[in-house]
Formats: sequence, C-alpha cells, structure tokens
Amino acid sequence: MNRRRVLRRRIVVAILLLLSVAMLTLYFRESNSGVAHGVQGVVLRVVAPLQNGTARATKPFRDAWNWAGGLFSAKSENTTLKKEVEQLRVGVAKELTTQAENDELRRMVKLQGEKIFPKGVRLVTGRVVARSTTAWYSTVTINVGSGAGVAVYDAVVNGAGLVGRVTSVTANAAQVTLITDQQSYVDGMVMPGGAQGILSGSVTGDVTLQYVDKNERIKVGQLIVTSGRTGSIFVRGIPIGVVESVGRQDVELYQSIAVHPWVDFRKLDLVQVVLR
Amino acid sequence: MKLERTAVDTTREWPSWGAIARLAVMLIIATLLQTTVAPFIRILGASPDFALIIIVCVALMKGSETGAVFGFLTGMMVAIALMEPFGLSAFVFVLVGYFAGRYAETADLSAGFAPLLTTFAATLVADILFAMAQFLLERQVPMGFFVARVLIPSLIINTLLAAPLYLVVRLWLRGGGDLHVSRAR
Repeated sequence: MNRRRVLRRRIVVAILLLLSVAMLTLYFRESNSGVAHGVQGVVLRVVAPLQNGTARATKPFRDAWNWAGGLFSAKSENTTLKKEVEQLRVGVAKELTTQAENDELRRMVKLQGEKIFPKGVRLVTGRVVARSTTAWYSTVTINVGSGAGVAVYDAVVNGAGLVGRVTSVTANAAQVTLITDQQSYVDGMVMPGGAQGILSGSVTGDVTLQYVDKNERIKVGQLIVTSGRTGSIFVRGIPIGVVESVGRQDVELYQSIAVHPWVDFRKLDLVQVVLR
Repeated sequence: MKLERTAVDTTREWPSWGAIARLAVMLIIATLLQTTVAPFIRILGASPDFALIIIVCVALMKGSETGAVFGFLTGMMVAIALMEPFGLSAFVFVLVGYFAGRYAETADLSAGFAPLLTTFAATLVADILFAMAQFLLERQVPMGFFVARVLIPSLIINTLLAAPLYLVVRLWLRGGGDLHVSRAR
C-alpha cells in the first residue's frame, strides 16, 4: 500500500516536470498564434481584470512605500538634481537657439504636427497591472491589448519618455519589454549633434548607447532621443534620457555611452502605446 | 496551549473538495501578490518571492504531492499573468513544492524555524535554477550580480517573510489535519 503511494507520488512529480519542459519547448517553438499563446490569452482574460483591481487597490500602499523609500534617497537625489539643473540650463540655452532653426526646417519639409509624433499617430492609454519580479526580465504587463489596436513592436511611452516596446499581445493585455531589459535594442541619437548608436539594456538595469562613432564628441548632459531611421519601429524624437558618462578607449572602434533614462521604471503606472 | 508540528501524514488521500477550494483561493492570492504587489516592494534591491514562500508553506502543511501540484499551478499562473514563457517557473516550483513536502513528511517539524529553514533552502535552489535557465536561454548572467543583487537579498527577504506568511497560510488552510494541538503541561 505504502509502496503504491510512493510510486504514485513519483509518477505525479515526473509527469508535472515533463509537462513543464514540454510547455516550455512548445512556447518557444510556436508562433504567437499557437496553442500555448492561445491558452495564455484565454487565462489572461480572467486574470487581467483581477490584476487591474489589485493594482488599483494596492496603489496607495505602493505610493506610501515609494514615498518612504524616497526619503532615504532624497538627500543624494537633491545633490544630483542640482547638478542636473545646471546641465539643463546650458541645454535649454542651446535648445532655444536651435528651436527656431528646427521650426523653420519643419515648415520647409511640411512635417508640422505634434511635437514628437507625426500627424495621424494614435495613442492608447493603458495601466501597468503587473511586472516581472525576477532580475532577469524587465517586463511589465499593461491592461490594453489587441482589442484596443495594440500590436507587437508598438512603442510604449509615458510623460517622461520612452518606456519600451510591445513584445506580446492578447485581447485585453500586452507585455511590454522595458528599455532596461537586456534583450531590448533601440536606435538612439545624441542631441544636439545627431550621433547615432544602438541603445541597449542590461541585466543590471543600466542603459548604454553603443556603437557610437569614436570621432563624435559627446558630452555629459546631452539628450538621447530615438533616431527613427528607416526600418525603425520607433518614430523619431521620443526622449529617452541624458548622457551620464562617456567611455572612449583608444583600442576600440566605437565609444560606449552610459545613459540615465528619463523614465522612472520603479514607478510606472500609466503609459501610452503608440499605434503604428 | 502549544502548537506542536509533527511530520505530515503520508497515508492520507488527496485533499478534500473544501481543502481544494481553499488551495485555489491561495493560488489566486499567491499569483496576485507575486505579480502586482511584490515587484513594487524593493528591499536591498530585490523583491520578495511571495509565490515561492506560499508554495513552501503549502507543501509543509499538505505534503509533497499537493506541494508539487500547487507549485506547478502557481508557476503556470505567474507565467501567464506576466506573459512570460510558461513552463520554467512551473518546473522550478514543482521541485520546490515536492522537496519542501518531502522534508515535512520525513523530518520532525516541531522546531519553529522549519518554515524559515525550508524557505531559505528553497530560495537558494530556485534562484540557482532560474539563473541556470537564463544561461541556457543565452541571457547574461554575471556571477557577481547574481550573488550580490539577486541571491543574497532574496535569501534574506524571503526567509524573513516566511514566518508571518506561514502563520497566515496555516490559519487559512486550518491545518487540514496536519497540525496537532495539544495542551502543554
């Protein structure tokens, strides 16, 4: 009798382990319209509203937690902000000078529209209802999906700048891979100057603009925006962050630039999906 | 009055429908806590793993079979809720649930630190397995980052949270016959 139970227990565990491996394999091998993704979509229809409710209900507590945490870092943040203000004053002066020229160029090529997005681009607002807890993934789940017109590769922004891109969609939810994720790549551009590079995340959450021509003179405090070059999934000019430091070595062909993103990824709440 | 824990009874059958209903509620709570609350709580740079702790607590109370099934379902639900590849969390949580349950079935759990010790061991195993999986999926796994920013913080947070969560889970599941309350003389 006892032997039978031991056998049953082992069989149950073996089946569960095999099932896990089978599903993992299936998930990676199939397309987004496959069975595993379909099951995910169906279950999310039930889970997403619950997540939405929980996210709303716990928001005051999360805000209180962030506020308490913010007190500890307020002193060092104050010093950093003072430095940033100094840098931005210089930036604003330059910006004002180039603004007139920029406006003129825009008029010339008849690209008048909203400040960042071309005319006709539709934005869908969503709320972050879940996010990955592991250090290995920097992803969030938002409560708008294909039902609202969201599709894979759509850019996601908030009031501060670029958040990431949509990597998976169901009817009422979408997964957004943040620009801090180690598998995120965005074509970026340093302004003013227009030096281009590839912005990539990392497992530590640091964001770096790589493959920037070594001959380009980049300074700390310069702005980084999306370059929107041909074939890019992002429109031109979405703010990303500022240059934090520049790594230039004689032996390397390119320079690597550490970027401080504008978006505070710890406090993501409302975001907008840029529909293509 | 003293709460005395003994090894989980291995001769019983599957849980009753009432127990299954309670486990289902616990499953939903674990999923919601893990996906909507935990990511926003950062202590020492890491977030608590509510799902893992709850799986350990359930396995300690209900045994290896229930622990493994509960771990599998929790892993699936968390992966679905986060729209991550499912199967990976389920695989790790099946092992966690099974071995935590086996520990409960074979060891004397009268010592109060059993949930803490099991959670510590489960976190260690789970973090190493997840890191190995990332390595196999060709993602960066810097050893220094893993130890300093993932493993050590999560070991501390999860172990500290194990005691209060164990009490809550135990109250919710009502012991299911696994707890023997006796008068201390």
